[in-house]
Amino acid sequence: MPISFQSIRFGTVEIRPEDVIEFPFGLIGLGGLRYALIDRNPGTGFLWLHEIDNPALALPVVSPVRFFPDFVLEIAPEDQERTGLHDLTGAQLYVTVRATPDPLDITVNLRAPLVIRDGRGYQVINTREDAPLQAPLFTLAAQSQIAS
Amino acid sequence: MLILTRRPGERVVIGDEIFVTVMSVSGHTVRLGIAAPAGVPIYREEIWLAVKEENRAAAAATADALPSTPPTADAAHSGRSQAPASEAPASETPASEAPAERPASEAPAER
Repeated sequence: MPISFQSIRFGTVEIRPEDVIEFPFGLIGLGGLRYALIDRNPGTGFLWLHEIDNPALALPVVSPVRFFPDFVLEIAPEDQERTGLHDLTGAQLYVTVRATPDPLDITVNLRAPLVIRDGRGYQVINTREDAPLQAPLFTLAAQSQIAS
Repeated sequence: MLILTRRPGERVVIGDEIFVTVMSVSGHTVRLGIAAPAGVPIYREEIWLAVKEENRAAAAATADALPSTPPTADAAHSGRSQAPASEAPASETPASEAPAERPASEAPAER
């Protein structure tokens, strides 16, 4: 039995019950407790993390692993305790996308990734010192391709 | 705002479960120890503010704000032209296997 919710961006959205992701602590500064990942830009790697109970709350996200091969997430012990993410086995990682008119200006937040596992999601602080809040999505990907 | 004066070693209790200890004071630097239930997130304010701002900026995106055919890494390098969407197809649930995480024992005690 699909679940449907309203979105000011996409109208009525249908998802499967198992696609609901509980965020016990919400997103930092935004809240929201129940989200779903929806694919409205097939083939691009961009997904939308949409709050189910708030038609206006949705953020574009991408997998950091796809664009940043060297991406590493380190979580402070206190946050590991809070989230249960002592290891990241089986977890999906996403980062929020700051969309811009020119795609080459798009940045993503590697400092506060989203970790999703077993129907639960957490936004955690990446304690890696080299994890920027605004990492250029495409230019950095190009640089790391050249470097490799 | 409640303003309290504390000496090193003294604490403030917030509710019944959050203890803030003044560990040391050195010049303009105060070291705080915070004991709170595991379910209470604790952030440095500047990190919290910065992440909140990034989240809000991301959430401001309109439905058509994302490129339908983003430049590939090569196109991004060679010029500002749109490249055909020739990348591997995106999956609804990308298998983004997480890279190795630093063991808790090596992680800094201070955030």
